[in-house]
Formats: sequence, C-alpha cells, structure tokens
Amino acid sequence: MSAYETLVVERRGAVGWLVFDRPDAGNAMDATMFRELERAWRELDDDPAVRVIVNTGNGRAFQTGLDVAQLARDKDALREQSRRTRDADLRLTAWHNRVWKPVIAAVNGVCAGGGLHFVADADIVIASSDATFLDPHVSIGQVSAYETIGLARKSPMEAITRMALVGRHERMTAQRAYELGILSQVVDPPDRLRDEAQALAEKIARNSPAAMAATKRALWGALEAGLTDACRAGSRELVGMWGHPDQEEGPRAFAERRDARWQVDA
Amino acid sequence: MSYPELECLRLERRGPVGWLLNNRPEQLNAMSAKMRDEFAVAWDTLNHDPEVRVIVHTGEGRAFQTGVDVTEIATDGVGMERYRQSVEDWDLHFTAWHQHVWKPVITAVNGICAGGGFHWIADADIVIAASDAQFFDPHVSVGQVVAIEAIGLLRKVPAEAVMRMAFVGRYERISAQRAYELGMISQIVDPPDRLRDEAQALAEKIARNSPAAMAATKRALWGALETGLTDACRAGARELVSMWGHPDQEEGPRAFAEKREPRWRELQAGT
Repeated sequence: MSAYETLVVERRGAVGWLVFDRPDAGNAMDATMFRELERAWRELDDDPAVRVIVNTGNGRAFQTGLDVAQLARDKDALREQSRRTRDADLRLTAWHNRVWKPVIAAVNGVCAGGGLHFVADADIVIASSDATFLDPHVSIGQVSAYETIGLARKSPMEAITRMALVGRHERMTAQRAYELGILSQVVDPPDRLRDEAQALAEKIARNSPAAMAATKRALWGALEAGLTDACRAGSRELVGMWGHPDQEEGPRAFAERRDARWQVDA
Repeated sequence: MSYPELECLRLERRGPVGWLLNNRPEQLNAMSAKMRDEFAVAWDTLNHDPEVRVIVHTGEGRAFQTGVDVTEIATDGVGMERYRQSVEDWDLHFTAWHQHVWKPVITAVNGICAGGGFHWIADADIVIAASDAQFFDPHVSVGQVVAIEAIGLLRKVPAEAVMRMAFVGRYERISAQRAYELGMISQIVDPPDRLRDEAQALAEKIARNSPAAMAATKRALWGALETGLTDACRAGARELVSMWGHPDQEEGPRAFAEKREPRWRELQAGT
C-alpha cells in the first residue's frame, strides 16, 4: 500500500476507506491533499477487492474546504487549483474522479464550505449526531457554486440557498440534514459512526458490482438531462446488463438462500 | 361506459373516481407480460372515460407492486429479452406517464412496494400509503440495474434517499413514515384498512376542480422535469395562457361568489 501524508487509505474486508488526515487543520485541503485525493480515489476504484468506499475524517472535523493559508504560500498549487476551478476540472471527489463504485460519506464532525463537495458527490451520506454543516464562503468574500449546485440537485433547495447565503453565521445540525433527506442516517453516540458505516458498506458489498456500476452511471447521468432523455439513457444502462452472468447468479443465489458470487470485472 | 374484463388488473368507477387495481395478489402483484399489456389498456380506458375525473391506482392483497414477475422471467426461456425491444426503443406503456394520462393520478400504496413497483410512485401525481407500507429496491441484489423508476424519483425527492435504496438493495426497507418525511408520499393512512376510503375522499376533493385547468397544470409541472428552470417557466406560461378565455375561468369565480359547486366543461379526448 502506498503511503499518503494527508490521507489514510485502508481496506476492511470489501470496504475501502478514504480518511482525511489533517486533524490539526480541520482536515482542510492543502496542495498535497489535492494530489493525494486523486491518487487515492483511483487506487480504491481500481482495486478489485474493494466493492464499496467509505469517506470520513480523523479528528473533530470531517472536512473544512481549502486550506487557504497553506495555498497562499504555495503559488504553483494555488494557480493549478484556480485553473481547475475555472475549467470545471476538479479532482477532489469520487464524482470528479469518475469512481463507479458506491461511495458513502460518513460525516464525523463539522463539514464546512468546500467540505460540502464530498457530501454533494457521495451516493450515500450518514453522519454522527454531533456533525454540523455550514457554508462560510460568502462570509469571507468567496462565491459558493459547485458544491451547493450539486446539493441543490439532490435536496430541497431552500435549505441549500439558506446555507449558502447565511454563510458562517448559522450551522445545520445532523438531525435537520436527516429531515431534509441530505443524509439518510444519524449515528448516536457519535463514536459508533465508523462501525455503522462499515456495516452499511458490507450490506452494499453483497450486491452485484456490475449492476451497481451501471445503476450509478444511470442515476448520476440523470442529473445531467431532462426526465425523458435521462430515462432513455438509463434504459441503455438497463439493457446493457442483460445477459450478464450476475443476472442468472442473483436469482439463483436468492432461491438457494446463499450470498451471490458476483463476477468482478477487471 | 363499461370496462373491459382484465386478467391481472381490475377497473372500477366510484362516482367521478376511476380505480385501477393490481390484481395478482398471490404473486404480490408482480408484473407479468400479460399484466404489462393490460396496463396500457387500463390507463387508456380510464383516461377516455368522460365520467372519470381522477384516477386512483392501488393493489389487492398485501403488496402494492413488486416489479417484474421474476418467476416468469426465470421459467419461460425468454427472460428479460422480452422487454429488450421496448426498453431500447423507449416504448413503454405501463404507467400513466407513459400513456400520457392527463387526469390526476393518485397512487395508494397498500403494502410492499419493491423494485419496479417504484414506476407507479415515480409517475403518479400524488402518492399516499397505508401505515404498514414498505419501500425497497432489490434490483442490484439480484444482478439487475435500476434506472428508469429511480431516475423519475430523483426528480421528485431528495436524491440521497433514492441512491441509498438503489445501492443497499434488498438489505434494508424504508417505512411509510420515512417516505412521508422525505416527501415521497403526502399522507399516511392509519389504520391501513382505511386506505381506500381516504384515497376516494382525496380523489373526490380533486374531482371538484376544473378538469381543463388540471390537465394544463399537469402538463406544465411534468414538462418542467424535462428542462432548465427558465425554459420550463416559458413552457408553463404557454399552458397558463392557453386557459384564458376558457369557460371554466368565468364559471369558477361565479360559482365561488354564488357559493355553489362549479359546473366545469368536460375535457375532450386528445386535448
């Protein structure tokens, strides 16, 4: 396993873990983390032993966005990140990096600003009961766009525009995020978060990897187009799976009351 | 208007409300090839019956609908291939949306709704459920992709909930209560055996509104799921203006002033 400075990347059974590991900096993204995120998503997505990926943070924060102080000292990194932002060529999240395995964000504490990228771009989001969400961009004279646009596609919009415009002067609780459907599970006590994330990931790991990848392409693709066009594109993903060995194995395993042996595509 | 005898579905009319009942309770109302063909007939029949103002869709037995009949798929040697042409050509006819039904449609979920059953949640205008209804999507647990019904739901409810159901598959169910919190349904009926009465009562409220105005409203709102906000508002504006000068627009305020029920113009087929 390759070494990372700002992340912990590990496997527990069929579950790959990508853990932000700059706890003293609120897990904010510096130039090193930018590079390492791209490499870590690729490593986990390419590893056939990994069926599901969990993304969480070490320490009190989940993610607090760009490490502005560090980037101010690293002009090259700042320039590169500015280019990627301008060209919509970010490589921070699983979605940016075209990861087609299911991704669970397990929000372990404060999630602020650019940290919301990882909530917007996850398939499933769970949080510890003490997690909080805020978007301070406009409070420091920055625009909030990518991550709130993504969230606005996936959640009731008023909650997102409120967060974007109130900035750092208010926080959303995990409970409210659950009510709004931004996340599907609040874990209490908070220190049970990783166990619950692992348990959820292990359920998902029992499903057909090929069917999940096609489903993920269909659902995320649907956020790009109108309803009818999205259904047409989705029907191609649907039909693309017909004749795949998992489609015989699934019902057979169900009838025989055993776990399915899915084909793992290289 | 007399309704055709169907094998897998039942059609009834109660006052201004047309009822479509999934009627394969032994198979948890799973959709056989026969049932799929009958859906097209059933929606067209109710849509074109001038006595019907609102349609309620529910199921007989302990399930609402559980998707494609997997037993038929597994045993008849044709399998999913029977659906290939229609899915590839986007030529589906089993929901009200597929059949361009312009009358309001209420789905009343009477029990389990699994997998393909979500087509009739995604494509209904209004969804209510019995308090013991349960929702889950086992597609990926049997090696199938879920696409069309989840894509429809994604437009209408918080996406995380849809994606969690899609990826967790058969290993988790969501309750009627959670579906209500998420806005996937708007009413929980308890005790469960009151579901049909409540659905009928809701449908009768809706039946008091202008059929022409509801048809144009329905086109505007569903059309809005196809495009960006500004384009959707432009198209919606055309639906809005199309009602101006319609007799219902004079009749509505007059009836209100005279404290009586309005006498709405019948909606013509094909309008």
